[in-house]
Amino acid sequence: MQHLSDRSAPLTSITERIRPHAGLLELFAAYFWIGIQSFGGGSATLFLIRQACITRGWLDEVEFTRAWALIQIAPGINLIKITALVGYELRGWPGVVAAVAGLVLPSGCVTALMTAGFSAVRDVPAARAAMRGVLPATIGISVAIAAQMGLPVLRLARRESNRRLAAHVLVLVGAALLLAVAGLSPALVLLAAGAVTAALLAVLPSALRREP
Amino acid sequence: MNPITFFWLFLKASLLSTGGFGNLPYLHQDLIGLGRATEADFLTAIAVGQLSPGPNGVWSISLGYLTLGWLGAALAMLALSLPPLLALGVAAVYNRVERWQGVQDFVRGLSLGVVGLTLAIAYALARSSIADWRGLAIALGALALAISKHVPVVAILGLAGLMGWIIYR
Repeated sequence: MQHLSDRSAPLTSITERIRPHAGLLELFAAYFWIGIQSFGGGSATLFLIRQACITRGWLDEVEFTRAWALIQIAPGINLIKITALVGYELRGWPGVVAAVAGLVLPSGCVTALMTAGFSAVRDVPAARAAMRGVLPATIGISVAIAAQMGLPVLRLARRESNRRLAAHVLVLVGAALLLAVAGLSPALVLLAAGAVTAALLAVLPSALRREP
Repeated sequence: MNPITFFWLFLKASLLSTGGFGNLPYLHQDLIGLGRATEADFLTAIAVGQLSPGPNGVWSISLGYLTLGWLGAALAMLALSLPPLLALGVAAVYNRVERWQGVQDFVRGLSLGVVGLTLAIAYALARSSIADWRGLAIALGALALAISKHVPVVAILGLAGLMGWIIYR
């Protein structure tokens, strides 16, 4: 566990750059606000977490997408995983506790309260009608997230070469089809996407000079 | 129900799955099998999880409340928060191997795969919850507002709820 406490090596290892200072209270407060505000489930929450990380300079766009991809391999809820990772990156283990508690405590309490209330109004037509509007909006928001995560990677590929861009689009569309049409397990799709990308990029040279 | 057994069932489901609803099959099998929860409990919990703030995975906190009251909600919350810490280990391993070009390309492929999966799941959800052109219009409107970054997500969802109430009541 030595490497886990070595603060000179950033855990997400996304860059070697110095992170902006974040107080534990600031970290807790930022996630508390997200945990309270993100009505509408995971898509809304991911949107707000990403926005908070980027506007505060905790992670940039490419770092966020890479961290989000990396944590998919670990067990549990993805949003809690990325929260733990950001907390550790900024403030070590106290940061993990502050960020995860900030995210989970308020949303967990609101969820339990809503469970008590929802059973009572489940069959009220007005509640059902409002829900029929909320669900499509949730879908629109998740497509926005996909676009915001995918575009930085595709822009990078376009700078490298047109063939690499084609390979990226192929992997992206292929992953969507493997889940939607073939119904493969998400973990398998991701492993395949990683392996195919590594193989394709090994034979398609980048026009950019590789960083030393 | 014994709180320790309860906690273990929720922890196990979270450890063996990834994503917000990955624990659903495990909990469904165990709690229904033990006669500790009903199908209606599951449907209520999933609906609340969709609406309440925070990750989709909080649906099992709702299930915990329905099964064991406030203690159940608290235990479910703890069971959800512990397994994700293993992501720190995954990141630490990545940190040691990231200098290999192949590893960087592999992780880039994971990013592309995640975007593809997100789109596929959005499509599957759209087929089940967008019933007509008005629903599609709400989805596209929400997409445009979210991409513009000028409107808070909670306002987008509030507006959509209002539209739903006006259209479908």
